[in-house]
Amino acid sequence: MPPQEQSPRSSARVTVVRILPIALVLGALIGLPRFADMAFLNAMVMVCIAALYAMGYNLLWGQAGLISFGHATYFAFGASCTIMTMAAIEGGSSFPTPLLPLAGGAASFLMGLVAGWFATIRTGVYFAMITVAITELVRAIVQRWDSMFGGEAGITSIRMAWGPIGFQKLLDVYYFTLAWTIIGILLLWFLQRSPLGTVIRGIREQEERVRFLGYDTHALKTLVFAISAGVSGMAGGLLAFTNESTNVALYEGAYSTTVLINTVIGGAGVFLGPVVGATLTTLFGYYVANLTYYWLLYMGLLFMVIVVYAPRGISGLGVDAVRRLRSGAPVRWDLLGRFALGWLVVTIGAIMTIELIGAVVQPSYGALARSSGVAWPPVRVFWVSWSPASPLTLGGIALLFGLGAVLLRDTAGTASRNVSTLADAIAGKPGPGV
Amino acid sequence: MLCVRDLHAAYGNIHVLRGVSFEIVGGQIATILGRNGSGRSTTCKAVMGLLPPLHGQVQLDGVNLAGRESHDIAHAGLGYVPEERLIFTTLTVEENLVLGQKPAKPGAARWTMDELYDLFPRLRERRNIRAGFLSGGEQQMLTMFRTLLGNPCAILIDEPTEGLAPKIVDVVGETILEMKRRGLAVILMEQKLSMAMKVTDTVLVMGHGQIVFTGTPQAFEADPGIRRQWLEVA
Repeated sequence: MPPQEQSPRSSARVTVVRILPIALVLGALIGLPRFADMAFLNAMVMVCIAALYAMGYNLLWGQAGLISFGHATYFAFGASCTIMTMAAIEGGSSFPTPLLPLAGGAASFLMGLVAGWFATIRTGVYFAMITVAITELVRAIVQRWDSMFGGEAGITSIRMAWGPIGFQKLLDVYYFTLAWTIIGILLLWFLQRSPLGTVIRGIREQEERVRFLGYDTHALKTLVFAISAGVSGMAGGLLAFTNESTNVALYEGAYSTTVLINTVIGGAGVFLGPVVGATLTTLFGYYVANLTYYWLLYMGLLFMVIVVYAPRGISGLGVDAVRRLRSGAPVRWDLLGRFALGWLVVTIGAIMTIELIGAVVQPSYGALARSSGVAWPPVRVFWVSWSPASPLTLGGIALLFGLGAVLLRDTAGTASRNVSTLADAIAGKPGPGV
Repeated sequence: MLCVRDLHAAYGNIHVLRGVSFEIVGGQIATILGRNGSGRSTTCKAVMGLLPPLHGQVQLDGVNLAGRESHDIAHAGLGYVPEERLIFTTLTVEENLVLGQKPAKPGAARWTMDELYDLFPRLRERRNIRAGFLSGGEQQMLTMFRTLLGNPCAILIDEPTEGLAPKIVDVVGETILEMKRRGLAVILMEQKLSMAMKVTDTVLVMGHGQIVFTGTPQAFEADPGIRRQWLEVA
């Protein structure tokens, strides 16, 4: 049956199925402060900021197919301009506090117009290289222009009250950030659904075709770049608002990498994919960092596994699973079970390896060995003490990896296929996308 | 009126077009015939600005378009339906059509999505399906409709019937006649004679990067030498 002939009841059901999960998540986010402690609420503020930043970034990647390696510039510039506006409000300006993220967004949008005009002359690897060059250029300027950007010490200001809202409590900051994140995501949603969104996706697929249909693709790509920069700048503005400070470290490459990792882990091809990635990695940073010194290494490994095995990210896996279930294809429980067990075994083996090596290479371990007179003092991993050099430990780890390799034996083909697809995507070659 | 004068174009050192000239007025169909490699597709690309011409003029209603960017040329009212059926495979049928929509210039024929769906109702049925899943014939119709939604004054159609089933060839022929009825100047690039001879007003034959024959279909039929020299494969 053609989709336009769907009965009202079935289309209503589709709407409910789509809207209900979003409504539930929104309800949970609004009700969250009743149940969460301060630390978690703080983490959620950072989740919102990272989510909006990643959504802005993904307009460029997921929609227009342009992978930027230098988006920190626009995030940081948004933060800088917001803190300057906050300082102006502090100094008596009548700029309304609730509109502060717009100051950051507008500044980054304008910067994105200029940078995007240069960057989008090229596509693929050359585009990515120009974005890196622009980032380094801006960073060099900002780091030397202390009178404007505050140098290493940065700029600090305070959130001024607006009408009845004091903006002093964490609760106010949480709702403020949440509201602006939703506004930003809605803006991107309507953009994606608009004719402009269709043209942008057309450019991703085949730019020349769009050109001979009468569109100035360079102008359109510049506009998309600027909007992406503007939304990232809004996220930067929210960070400045929350921290009441910024410094030039925000302009560093690490912030460009983080947003790329969030987008890849969440999935560039699904609209809310970057939100999933940003949530996961931000909470991972908050909670796993307390458990292990090597949390960034684990994050890197997770990133690599996703790139190799699920280039459409976690949300891509979810969408594929739902599509498969709806199509009525039989669920291969045996295969799923084997893969789940395989990944579990490999993960345990990897954690054991990293934690044991990580403990042994630390200077304190050598000191402990000398003072205790034992060549290889035991190390605690998973609440158990392991002797790093004992055949039992080493054999156990080897056994875990061996068992994992057997259980995951038929995934090598998927991995090599996905890696070549990703390489094509970065090089700007048209294809099924990642 | 589309008027091409002394158009030259090259791929690197290979000089492909060596002074192509032709004229076509609104409400007329001209068919350019020629062997593989005679320069038909290159003519389309050079006229559309996808291959910058070395020399010559492309005038649409008196405005010279040669040397302009292809989006400018499309905006000026020249439509192009490429040979490779360059649809956007990951977009739906309707999104492909939306991409083609442009406001009509004064005096240009206006086309609406509904009118086009009426010409080929299968596309209406499949409008929410990704275009990559369409059959070859459906993709060809989609490419033509997408260009028509830009309300062009003149349209270049490169090999529209290649590899299509006879039924779809008839629909393509009908659509081209509808373009003529609405006053478009239609330039058809064809290798096969059957469909072209039924609809065309003028026959142009290309060889060695030039137009070597211009005449009515009757004059063309009456001169077997032209066909032997420029179209048949020895």
